[in-house]
Amino acid sequence: MHRRLWLIPAFAGLLAASACSKKADTAADTAATTTAAPAVQVTSVDLGPAVGADNHVTGSTDTFQPNQTVYAAVSTDGTSPNATLTARWTYQDGQVVDSSARSIAPTGPAVTEFHVSKPSGWPKGDYKVEVMLNGASVQTKSFKVK
Amino acid sequence: MGLLDKILGNDEPTKKADFSDVQSGSSSTAPAPAQTSSMGANSGRTYTVVEGDSLSKIAKHQYGDANKWHAIYEANRDKIKNPDLIHPGQVFTIPDVS
Repeated sequence: MHRRLWLIPAFAGLLAASACSKKADTAADTAATTTAAPAVQVTSVDLGPAVGADNHVTGSTDTFQPNQTVYAAVSTDGTSPNATLTARWTYQDGQVVDSSARSIAPTGPAVTEFHVSKPSGWPKGDYKVEVMLNGASVQTKSFKVK
Repeated sequence: MGLLDKILGNDEPTKKADFSDVQSGSSSTAPAPAQTSSMGANSGRTYTVVEGDSLSKIAKHQYGDANKWHAIYEANRDKIKNPDLIHPGQVFTIPDVS
């Protein structure tokens, strides 16, 4: 018993350290909620056969010709030191046509374009592009190839 | 209906669409995240895949070590869906490896 007396102050010390750590966490949480810039979010996804210098689509449409390149312009707002946008393109039978990701560090409104083309021509039918932000699905757009 | 399809010759399985030649890309008006680690940092080098290439073959050529193909794979995850399947014409970033 006598030998184990040293455990008491050690245990008390651990409790105190834990309490301090909890206080620090709480302070950090408060600071984060009061000073953090708005997190990045996807505001719109537009499809078209081309994009301009600002990455916005020109001639927004949801119907494409088999020989056209399909552009998806993903508009975002907010800031992030590292956010990942993913565009996952699928055909009507569920086949994944393409999946591309791009890491961005936006400091305000931004437009990220993803595009797919098929030199031998797109099979006619229905397609979808699912846009994900940091792995979470945020928007899905459907389009047709006629 | 299955019998009718057989009689009419309509029971052949539908041919799956082939998307193996799909090309993709992206660009953004937002800046790219800053590199925080020297491991896998972008050296600025790129390599264009040619017929017969594999990731290990490219690693052997670039680093002298085929086992370092992982570094190329990790640096180009947005372009490589399957590390066993790369296509001529793809442009890969070649990261610095220690």
